[in-house]
Amino acid sequence: MILITNTLIDGLKERIANAVSTNQSTGIIIPSNNYSDLICSLFEYMDTKPDAIWVYLTITKPFESLFDDYSNLINNQNIIFIDCISHAAGISKEKSNCIYIESPSQLESILLEIMNSYKNTDDKKNKYLIIDSLSSLVIYNDAPLVTEFFTHLINRTRLSDITTISLTIEEELNDNIRKILYLKSDKIIKLKESFI
Amino acid sequence: MEEDGALIINEKSNYKKMEGDSMKENGKCKTGIDELDRKLDGGIPKGNAVLMVGSSGSGKTTLCMQYLINGAEMGERGVFFTITEPLFKLTKNIENFGFYKKKYVEDGLVNIIDLRIISERLGLNSEKYNVEDASALLEVLKDIADELEVKRLVIDSITALCYRLQSDEMIRDFIFKLGSSLAGMGCTTILTSEIPPTKPGELKYSKYGIEEFIADGIIFLGDVNRRGDIIRTLQIIKMRGTSHSRTKSAMNISSKNGIELTPLLKSGE
Repeated sequence: MILITNTLIDGLKERIANAVSTNQSTGIIIPSNNYSDLICSLFEYMDTKPDAIWVYLTITKPFESLFDDYSNLINNQNIIFIDCISHAAGISKEKSNCIYIESPSQLESILLEIMNSYKNTDDKKNKYLIIDSLSSLVIYNDAPLVTEFFTHLINRTRLSDITTISLTIEEELNDNIRKILYLKSDKIIKLKESFI
Repeated sequence: MEEDGALIINEKSNYKKMEGDSMKENGKCKTGIDELDRKLDGGIPKGNAVLMVGSSGSGKTTLCMQYLINGAEMGERGVFFTITEPLFKLTKNIENFGFYKKKYVEDGLVNIIDLRIISERLGLNSEKYNVEDASALLEVLKDIADELEVKRLVIDSITALCYRLQSDEMIRDFIFKLGSSLAGMGCTTILTSEIPPTKPGELKYSKYGIEEFIADGIIFLGDVNRRGDIIRTLQIIKMRGTSHSRTKSAMNISSKNGIELTPLLKSGE
Protein backbone atom coordinates (compact mmCIF):
# COMPACT_ATOMS: atom_id res chain seq x y z
CA MET A 1 0.00 0.00 0.00
CA ILE A 2 1.30 3.46 -0.88
CA LEU A 3 1.36 6.06 1.90
CA ILE A 4 1.75 9.76 1.20
CA THR A 5 1.60 12.67 3.59
CA ASN A 6 -1.75 14.37 3.84
CA THR A 7 -0.63 17.91 3.05
CA LEU A 8 0.58 16.92 -0.40
CA ILE A 9 -2.61 15.09 -1.16
CA ASP A 10 -4.82 17.90 0.10
CA GLY A 11 -3.09 20.44 -2.10
CA LEU A 12 -3.52 18.29 -5.18
CA LYS A 13 -7.08 17.38 -4.31
CA GLU A 14 -8.00 21.02 -4.02
CA ARG A 15 -6.52 21.87 -7.41
CA ILE A 16 -8.37 18.99 -9.03
CA ALA A 17 -11.64 19.93 -7.32
CA ASN A 18 -11.34 23.54 -8.47
CA ALA A 19 -10.58 22.56 -12.04
CA VAL A 20 -13.30 19.95 -12.31
CA SER A 21 -15.99 22.13 -10.80
CA THR A 22 -15.85 24.61 -13.67
CA ASN A 23 -14.40 22.67 -16.61
CA GLN A 24 -15.75 19.70 -18.50
CA SER A 25 -12.37 18.51 -19.73
CA THR A 26 -9.30 18.83 -17.53
CA GLY A 27 -5.82 17.72 -18.58
CA ILE A 28 -3.19 17.00 -15.95
CA ILE A 29 0.50 16.80 -16.78
CA ILE A 30 2.52 15.21 -14.02
CA PRO A 31 6.14 14.08 -13.55
CA SER A 32 6.36 10.31 -13.14
CA ASN A 33 7.84 10.72 -9.65
CA ASN A 34 4.58 12.18 -8.45
CA TYR A 35 2.24 9.80 -10.19
CA SER A 36 1.32 8.05 -6.94
CA ASP A 37 0.56 11.36 -5.20
CA LEU A 38 -1.83 12.28 -7.96
CA ILE A 39 -3.60 8.92 -7.95
CA CYS A 40 -4.08 9.15 -4.17
CA SER A 41 -5.52 12.64 -4.57
CA LEU A 42 -7.85 11.47 -7.30
CA PHE A 43 -9.19 8.56 -5.28
CA GLU A 44 -9.67 10.82 -2.29
CA TYR A 45 -11.48 13.31 -4.47
CA MET A 46 -13.66 10.53 -5.90
CA ASP A 47 -14.56 9.52 -2.38
CA THR A 48 -15.97 12.99 -1.75
CA LYS A 49 -18.51 12.38 -4.53
CA PRO A 50 -20.07 9.03 -3.73
CA ASP A 51 -23.25 9.83 -5.64
CA ALA A 52 -21.46 10.40 -8.92
CA ILE A 53 -20.74 7.77 -11.55
CA TRP A 54 -17.01 7.31 -12.07
CA VAL A 55 -15.32 5.42 -14.85
CA TYR A 56 -11.60 4.86 -14.40
CA LEU A 57 -9.68 3.85 -17.52
CA THR A 58 -6.34 2.32 -16.60
CA ILE A 59 -3.58 1.95 -19.17
CA THR A 60 -0.71 2.60 -16.77
CA LYS A 61 -1.22 -0.11 -14.15
CA PRO A 62 -3.15 -3.39 -14.21
CA PHE A 63 -6.35 -3.04 -12.20
CA GLU A 64 -5.24 -5.60 -9.65
CA SER A 65 -2.08 -3.72 -8.87
CA LEU A 66 -3.98 -0.42 -8.72
CA PHE A 67 -6.46 -2.02 -6.36
CA ASP A 68 -3.74 -3.46 -4.13
CA ASP A 69 -1.89 -0.14 -3.94
CA TYR A 70 -4.92 2.01 -3.17
CA SER A 71 -7.36 -0.47 -1.63
CA ASN A 72 -7.97 1.82 1.34
CA LEU A 73 -9.05 4.60 -1.02
CA ILE A 74 -11.10 2.75 -3.58
CA ASN A 75 -14.80 2.77 -2.96
CA ASN A 76 -16.00 -0.02 -5.22
CA GLN A 77 -19.58 1.01 -5.20
CA ASN A 78 -19.40 3.97 -7.52
CA ILE A 79 -16.34 3.29 -9.69
CA ILE A 80 -16.31 1.25 -12.87
CA PHE A 81 -12.77 0.26 -13.82
CA ILE A 82 -11.72 -0.46 -17.40
CA ASP A 83 -8.39 -2.27 -17.57
CA CYS A 84 -6.71 -2.07 -20.99
CA ILE A 85 -3.41 -3.76 -20.21
CA SER A 86 -3.83 -6.87 -18.07
CA HIS A 87 -4.98 -9.16 -20.87
CA ALA A 88 -2.32 -7.86 -23.25
CA ALA A 89 0.29 -8.53 -20.57
CA GLY A 90 -0.95 -12.10 -20.16
CA ILE A 91 -2.50 -11.51 -16.74
CA SER A 92 -5.52 -13.75 -16.72
CA LYS A 93 -6.74 -13.02 -13.20
CA GLU A 94 -10.03 -11.13 -13.43
CA LYS A 95 -12.03 -9.25 -10.86
CA SER A 96 -15.74 -8.79 -11.13
CA ASN A 97 -15.79 -5.02 -10.68
CA CYS A 98 -13.59 -4.40 -13.69
CA ILE A 99 -14.09 -4.55 -17.45
CA TYR A 100 -11.10 -5.97 -19.30
CA ILE A 101 -10.11 -4.88 -22.81
CA GLU A 102 -8.15 -7.40 -24.83
CA SER A 103 -5.45 -4.98 -25.90
CA PRO A 104 -4.71 -1.25 -25.55
CA SER A 105 -4.56 -1.12 -29.35
CA GLN A 106 -8.29 -1.94 -29.50
CA LEU A 107 -9.11 1.75 -29.19
CA GLU A 108 -12.60 1.40 -30.63
CA SER A 109 -13.44 -1.25 -28.03
CA ILE A 110 -12.20 1.12 -25.34
CA LEU A 111 -14.49 3.85 -26.69
CA LEU A 112 -17.45 1.45 -26.72
CA GLU A 113 -16.83 0.18 -23.20
CA ILE A 114 -16.46 3.70 -21.81
CA MET A 115 -19.75 4.84 -23.32
CA ASN A 116 -21.49 1.55 -22.41
CA SER A 117 -20.48 2.07 -18.79
CA TYR A 118 -22.73 5.11 -18.53
CA LYS A 119 -25.67 3.40 -20.20
CA ASN A 120 -28.63 2.66 -17.95
CA THR A 121 -27.27 4.94 -15.24
CA ASP A 122 -29.24 7.67 -13.53
CA ASP A 123 -29.25 10.73 -15.82
CA LYS A 124 -29.43 13.03 -12.84
CA LYS A 125 -26.12 11.80 -11.43
CA ASN A 126 -22.87 13.54 -12.29
CA LYS A 127 -20.65 11.48 -14.56
CA TYR A 128 -16.86 11.48 -14.56
CA LEU A 129 -14.18 9.78 -16.60
CA ILE A 130 -10.54 9.43 -15.58
CA ILE A 131 -8.03 8.50 -18.28
CA ASP A 132 -4.87 7.08 -16.70
CA SER A 133 -3.05 7.91 -18.83
CA LEU A 134 -3.28 9.32 -22.31
CA SER A 135 0.49 9.23 -22.73
CA SER A 136 0.59 5.50 -21.88
CA LEU A 137 -1.65 4.80 -24.86
CA VAL A 138 1.19 5.95 -27.12
CA ILE A 139 3.30 3.01 -25.94
CA TYR A 140 0.82 0.71 -27.68
CA ASN A 141 -0.46 2.88 -30.53
CA ASP A 142 0.86 5.36 -33.06
CA ALA A 143 0.51 8.93 -31.84
CA PRO A 144 -1.86 10.09 -34.66
CA LEU A 145 -4.21 7.24 -33.76
CA VAL A 146 -4.21 8.24 -30.10
CA THR A 147 -4.89 11.82 -31.17
CA GLU A 148 -7.90 10.68 -33.20
CA PHE A 149 -9.11 8.48 -30.35
CA PHE A 150 -8.88 11.30 -27.83
CA THR A 151 -10.70 13.68 -30.18
CA HIS A 152 -13.58 11.21 -30.61
CA LEU A 153 -13.66 10.49 -26.90
CA ILE A 154 -13.79 14.11 -25.77
CA ASN A 155 -16.43 14.94 -28.40
CA ARG A 156 -18.59 12.11 -27.14
CA THR A 157 -18.10 12.79 -23.45
CA ARG A 158 -18.97 16.46 -23.97
CA LEU A 159 -22.21 15.50 -25.70
CA SER A 160 -23.05 13.08 -22.89
CA ASP A 161 -22.23 15.65 -20.21
CA ILE A 162 -19.37 13.59 -18.80
CA THR A 163 -16.56 15.42 -17.02
CA THR A 164 -13.18 14.13 -18.13
CA ILE A 165 -9.87 14.16 -16.29
CA SER A 166 -7.03 13.15 -18.59
CA LEU A 167 -3.70 12.33 -17.02
CA THR A 168 -0.45 12.46 -18.93
CA ILE A 169 2.96 11.57 -17.61
CA GLU A 170 5.41 14.29 -18.49
CA GLU A 171 8.24 11.94 -19.49
CA GLU A 172 5.99 10.07 -21.92
CA LEU A 173 4.56 13.20 -23.51
CA ASN A 174 5.31 13.83 -27.18
CA ASP A 175 4.32 16.78 -29.36
CA ASN A 176 1.23 15.13 -30.83
CA ILE A 177 -0.22 14.27 -27.44
CA ARG A 178 0.71 17.62 -25.93
CA LYS A 179 -1.05 19.45 -28.76
CA ILE A 180 -4.24 17.42 -28.59
CA LEU A 181 -4.32 17.61 -24.79
CA TYR A 182 -4.12 21.40 -24.91
CA LEU A 183 -6.63 21.56 -27.75
CA LYS A 184 -9.31 19.37 -26.20
CA SER A 185 -8.92 20.38 -22.55
CA ASP A 186 -10.70 23.37 -21.04
CA LYS A 187 -8.10 23.53 -18.30
CA ILE A 188 -4.58 22.18 -17.99
CA ILE A 189 -3.00 21.50 -14.61
CA LYS A 190 0.73 21.17 -14.91
CA LEU A 191 2.28 19.78 -11.77
CA LYS A 192 5.93 20.34 -11.02
CA GLU A 193 7.98 18.48 -8.49
CA SER A 194 8.71 21.80 -6.79
CA PHE A 195 5.00 22.39 -6.25
CA ILE A 196 4.65 19.08 -4.46
CA MET B 1 -41.28 -30.09 -33.85
CA GLU B 2 -37.91 -31.53 -33.02
CA GLU B 3 -36.52 -34.63 -34.60
CA ASP B 4 -33.21 -36.33 -33.99
CA GLY B 5 -31.88 -33.12 -32.55
CA ALA B 6 -31.30 -32.00 -36.11
CA LEU B 7 -34.36 -30.20 -37.32
CA ILE B 8 -36.27 -27.69 -35.30
CA ILE B 9 -39.39 -26.23 -36.79
CA ASN B 10 -41.60 -24.63 -34.25
CA GLU B 11 -45.32 -24.76 -34.49
CA LYS B 12 -46.86 -21.40 -35.06
CA SER B 13 -46.98 -19.75 -31.72
CA ASN B 14 -49.97 -18.37 -29.94
CA TYR B 15 -48.68 -14.91 -30.57
CA LYS B 16 -51.27 -12.86 -32.34
CA LYS B 17 -50.23 -12.08 -35.85
CA MET B 18 -48.42 -8.84 -35.39
CA GLU B 19 -47.69 -6.47 -38.15
CA GLY B 20 -44.21 -6.00 -36.82
CA ASP B 21 -43.08 -2.82 -35.17
CA SER B 22 -40.06 -2.47 -37.39
CA MET B 23 -42.15 -2.33 -40.56
CA LYS B 24 -44.45 0.41 -39.44
CA GLU B 25 -41.89 3.10 -40.03
CA ASN B 26 -41.22 4.04 -43.65
CA GLY B 27 -41.03 0.49 -45.02
CA LYS B 28 -37.79 -0.32 -43.22
CA CYS B 29 -36.91 -3.50 -41.41
CA LYS B 30 -34.92 -2.51 -38.35
CA THR B 31 -32.02 -4.77 -37.55
CA GLY B 32 -32.32 -3.70 -33.92
CA ILE B 33 -28.60 -2.91 -33.85
CA ASP B 34 -28.88 0.85 -33.30
CA GLU B 35 -25.72 1.98 -35.02
CA LEU B 36 -26.37 -0.26 -38.04
CA ASP B 37 -29.93 1.05 -38.36
CA ARG B 38 -28.58 4.59 -38.24
CA LYS B 39 -26.13 3.75 -41.03
CA LEU B 40 -29.05 2.32 -43.01
CA ASP B 41 -31.18 5.43 -42.47
CA GLY B 42 -33.62 3.45 -40.35
CA GLY B 43 -33.10 -0.13 -41.43
CA ILE B 44 -33.00 -2.50 -44.40
CA PRO B 45 -35.73 -1.68 -46.96
CA LYS B 46 -38.52 -4.18 -46.46
CA GLY B 47 -38.30 -7.12 -48.89
CA ASN B 48 -34.64 -6.60 -49.77
CA ALA B 49 -32.31 -9.57 -50.11
CA VAL B 50 -29.00 -8.60 -48.54
CA LEU B 51 -25.66 -10.34 -48.89
CA MET B 52 -23.74 -10.43 -45.60
CA VAL B 53 -20.18 -10.96 -46.74
CA GLY B 54 -17.20 -11.97 -44.66
CA SER B 55 -14.46 -14.47 -44.08
CA SER B 56 -14.44 -17.07 -41.35
CA GLY B 57 -14.92 -15.57 -37.88
CA SER B 58 -16.05 -12.19 -39.15
CA GLY B 59 -19.35 -12.30 -37.22
CA LYS B 60 -21.85 -13.11 -39.99
CA THR B 61 -23.78 -15.77 -38.09
CA THR B 62 -23.90 -13.76 -34.87
CA LEU B 63 -25.13 -10.66 -36.67
CA CYS B 64 -27.82 -12.65 -38.50
CA MET B 65 -28.99 -14.36 -35.34
CA GLN B 66 -29.18 -11.03 -33.55
CA TYR B 67 -31.20 -9.66 -36.48
CA LEU B 68 -33.73 -12.46 -35.98
CA ILE B 69 -33.87 -12.22 -32.19
CA ASN B 70 -34.27 -8.43 -32.37
CA GLY B 71 -37.03 -8.98 -34.94
CA ALA B 72 -38.79 -11.35 -32.56
CA GLU B 73 -38.51 -8.67 -29.91
CA MET B 74 -40.45 -6.40 -32.31
CA GLY B 75 -43.04 -9.10 -32.94
CA GLU B 76 -41.70 -10.34 -36.28
CA ARG B 77 -41.31 -14.03 -36.92
CA GLY B 78 -38.08 -15.18 -38.52
CA VAL B 79 -36.40 -18.29 -39.82
CA PHE B 80 -32.72 -19.23 -39.91
CA PHE B 81 -31.67 -21.88 -42.43
CA THR B 82 -28.28 -23.31 -41.60
CA ILE B 83 -26.20 -25.32 -44.01
CA THR B 84 -22.72 -24.85 -42.63
CA GLU B 85 -23.16 -25.58 -38.95
CA PRO B 86 -25.01 -28.37 -37.13
CA LEU B 87 -27.99 -27.10 -35.13
CA PHE B 88 -26.68 -28.16 -31.73
CA LYS B 89 -23.43 -26.25 -32.31
CA LEU B 90 -25.23 -23.18 -33.60
CA THR B 91 -27.63 -22.99 -30.65
CA LYS B 92 -24.86 -23.76 -28.15
CA ASN B 93 -22.76 -20.88 -29.48
CA ILE B 94 -25.60 -18.44 -29.62
CA GLU B 95 -26.81 -19.24 -26.09
CA ASN B 96 -23.74 -17.48 -24.72
CA PHE B 97 -24.92 -14.09 -25.97
CA GLY B 98 -26.91 -11.73 -23.81
CA PHE B 99 -29.29 -10.92 -26.68
CA TYR B 100 -30.35 -14.58 -27.08
CA LYS B 101 -33.75 -15.33 -25.63
CA LYS B 102 -34.66 -18.99 -25.67
CA LYS B 103 -38.37 -18.24 -25.33
CA TYR B 104 -38.45 -16.81 -28.85
CA VAL B 105 -37.25 -20.14 -30.21
CA GLU B 106 -39.64 -22.07 -27.98
CA ASP B 107 -42.54 -19.82 -28.93
CA GLY B 108 -41.84 -20.09 -32.64
CA LEU B 109 -40.87 -16.48 -33.24
CA VAL B 110 -37.41 -17.63 -34.22
CA ASN B 111 -37.20 -20.88 -36.16
CA ILE B 112 -33.93 -22.64 -36.82
CA ILE B 113 -33.87 -25.21 -39.58
CA ASP B 114 -31.09 -27.45 -40.84
CA LEU B 115 -31.30 -27.20 -44.61
CA ARG B 116 -29.28 -30.37 -45.08
CA ILE B 117 -32.04 -32.37 -43.38
CA ILE B 118 -34.60 -30.82 -45.71
CA SER B 119 -32.47 -31.72 -48.71
CA GLU B 120 -32.21 -35.25 -47.43
CA ARG B 121 -35.95 -35.53 -46.99
CA LEU B 122 -36.49 -34.22 -50.48
CA GLY B 123 -34.17 -36.95 -51.67
CA LEU B 124 -31.75 -34.46 -53.21
CA ASN B 125 -28.21 -35.36 -54.08
CA SER B 126 -26.13 -33.99 -51.23
CA GLU B 127 -23.30 -32.86 -53.50
CA LYS B 128 -24.84 -31.38 -56.65
CA TYR B 129 -28.36 -30.19 -57.47
CA ASN B 130 -29.84 -30.35 -60.94
CA VAL B 131 -32.47 -27.86 -62.11
CA GLU B 132 -35.32 -29.95 -60.70
CA ASP B 133 -33.58 -30.32 -57.33
CA ALA B 134 -32.98 -26.58 -57.11
CA SER B 135 -36.57 -25.90 -58.03
CA ALA B 136 -37.86 -28.34 -55.40
CA LEU B 137 -35.67 -26.77 -52.73
CA LEU B 138 -36.80 -23.29 -53.70
CA GLU B 139 -40.43 -24.32 -53.38
CA VAL B 140 -39.82 -25.78 -49.93
CA LEU B 141 -38.07 -22.61 -48.75
CA LYS B 142 -40.94 -20.50 -50.04
CA ASP B 143 -43.51 -22.82 -48.47
CA ILE B 144 -41.82 -22.70 -45.09
CA ALA B 145 -41.55 -18.91 -45.23
CA ASP B 146 -45.20 -18.67 -46.25
CA GLU B 147 -46.44 -21.23 -43.75
CA LEU B 148 -44.62 -19.63 -40.84
CA GLU B 149 -45.50 -16.12 -42.08
CA VAL B 150 -41.94 -15.00 -41.52
CA LYS B 151 -40.86 -11.41 -42.03
CA ARG B 152 -37.16 -12.16 -41.66
CA LEU B 153 -35.23 -14.97 -43.27
CA VAL B 154 -31.57 -15.93 -43.13
CA ILE B 155 -29.68 -18.49 -45.19
CA ASP B 156 -26.28 -19.32 -43.71
CA SER B 157 -24.63 -19.64 -46.12
CA ILE B 158 -25.67 -18.96 -49.71
CA THR B 159 -22.11 -19.90 -50.71
CA ALA B 160 -22.62 -23.47 -49.47
CA LEU B 161 -25.92 -23.60 -51.35
CA CYS B 162 -24.42 -22.17 -54.54
CA TYR B 163 -21.69 -24.79 -54.35
CA ARG B 164 -24.38 -27.41 -54.97
CA LEU B 165 -25.79 -25.58 -57.99
CA GLN B 166 -24.11 -26.64 -61.18
CA SER B 167 -23.89 -23.47 -63.25
CA ASP B 168 -23.80 -19.69 -62.99
CA GLU B 169 -27.24 -19.57 -64.60
CA MET B 170 -28.65 -21.83 -61.90
CA ILE B 171 -27.15 -19.68 -59.17
CA ARG B 172 -28.51 -16.52 -60.76
CA ASP B 173 -31.94 -18.07 -61.25
CA PHE B 174 -32.11 -19.52 -57.74
CA ILE B 175 -31.18 -16.32 -55.92
CA PHE B 176 -33.35 -14.14 -58.14
CA LYS B 177 -36.44 -16.34 -57.68
CA LEU B 178 -35.85 -16.74 -53.96
CA GLY B 179 -35.40 -12.99 -53.50
CA SER B 180 -38.48 -12.08 -55.56
CA SER B 181 -40.77 -14.61 -53.88
CA LEU B 182 -39.72 -13.57 -50.40
CA ALA B 183 -39.99 -9.89 -51.26
CA GLY B 184 -43.54 -10.60 -52.41
CA MET B 185 -44.26 -11.93 -48.92
CA GLY B 186 -42.79 -8.80 -47.35
CA CYS B 187 -39.91 -10.86 -46.02
CA THR B 188 -36.47 -9.28 -45.63
CA THR B 189 -33.72 -11.77 -46.34
CA ILE B 190 -30.06 -11.99 -45.37
CA LEU B 191 -27.84 -14.39 -47.28
CA THR B 192 -24.41 -14.93 -45.80
CA SER B 193 -21.53 -15.10 -48.25
CA GLU B 194 -18.24 -16.70 -47.30
CA ILE B 195 -15.15 -15.27 -48.90
CA PRO B 196 -11.48 -15.75 -48.12
CA PRO B 197 -9.71 -12.74 -46.55
CA THR B 198 -9.36 -10.10 -49.27
CA LYS B 199 -6.30 -8.16 -50.27
CA PRO B 200 -6.47 -4.35 -50.14
CA GLY B 201 -8.28 -3.02 -53.20
CA GLU B 202 -9.77 -6.39 -54.08
CA LEU B 203 -13.45 -5.98 -54.85
CA LYS B 204 -15.23 -9.29 -54.72
CA TYR B 205 -18.05 -9.92 -52.34
CA SER B 206 -19.06 -13.45 -53.28
CA LYS B 207 -17.34 -16.67 -54.19
CA TYR B 208 -19.12 -17.12 -57.50
CA GLY B 209 -19.21 -13.43 -58.41
CA ILE B 210 -22.92 -13.61 -59.19
CA GLU B 211 -24.58 -13.33 -55.79
CA GLU B 212 -23.38 -9.76 -55.29
CA PHE B 213 -25.05 -8.51 -58.48
CA ILE B 214 -28.43 -10.06 -57.73
CA ALA B 215 -28.59 -9.03 -54.09
CA ASP B 216 -30.29 -5.72 -53.23
CA GLY B 217 -27.68 -4.95 -50.65
CA ILE B 218 -24.17 -5.87 -49.57
CA ILE B 219 -22.85 -5.56 -46.03
CA PHE B 220 -19.16 -6.34 -45.84
CA LEU B 221 -17.57 -7.64 -42.66
CA GLY B 222 -13.82 -7.27 -42.87
CA ASP B 223 -10.92 -6.50 -40.61
CA VAL B 224 -7.95 -4.22 -40.23
CA ASN B 225 -4.66 -5.18 -38.74
CA ARG B 226 -3.30 -2.87 -36.08
CA ARG B 227 0.13 -3.77 -34.79
CA GLY B 228 -0.75 -7.42 -35.17
CA ASP B 229 -4.17 -7.13 -33.53
CA ILE B 230 -7.20 -7.67 -35.73
CA ILE B 231 -10.03 -5.13 -35.53
CA ARG B 232 -13.33 -6.33 -37.02
CA THR B 233 -15.01 -3.89 -39.40
CA LEU B 234 -18.43 -3.43 -41.02
CA GLN B 235 -19.17 -1.45 -44.15
CA ILE B 236 -22.35 -1.11 -46.20
CA ILE B 237 -21.32 -1.42 -49.83
CA LYS B 238 -24.75 -1.09 -51.40
CA MET B 239 -28.37 -1.02 -50.32
CA ARG B 240 -31.07 -0.46 -52.87
CA GLY B 241 -34.02 1.65 -51.78
CA THR B 242 -32.37 3.74 -49.11
CA SER B 243 -29.59 6.22 -48.58
CA HIS B 244 -26.89 4.74 -46.40
CA SER B 245 -23.49 5.38 -44.90
CA ARG B 246 -20.46 4.01 -46.73
CA THR B 247 -18.00 4.66 -43.93
CA LYS B 248 -16.22 1.80 -42.24
CA SER B 249 -17.14 1.02 -38.64
CA ALA B 250 -15.24 -0.99 -36.09
CA MET B 251 -17.33 -3.93 -35.00
CA ASN B 252 -17.17 -5.47 -31.58
CA ILE B 253 -18.79 -8.76 -30.63
CA SER B 254 -19.46 -8.86 -26.92
CA SER B 255 -21.19 -11.65 -25.07
CA LYS B 256 -23.31 -9.07 -23.28
CA ASN B 257 -24.50 -6.91 -26.17
CA GLY B 258 -23.70 -8.96 -29.27
CA ILE B 259 -22.79 -6.74 -32.22
CA GLU B 260 -21.68 -3.21 -31.38
CA LEU B 261 -20.46 -0.63 -33.89
CA THR B 262 -18.42 2.51 -33.49
CA PRO B 263 -16.62 4.66 -36.08
CA LEU B 264 -13.29 3.14 -37.11
CA LEU B 265 -10.29 5.29 -36.29
CA LYS B 266 -8.84 6.07 -39.68
CA SER B 267 -5.28 6.89 -38.70
CA GLY B 268 -4.69 3.20 -38.12
CA GLU B 269 -5.58 2.08 -41.64
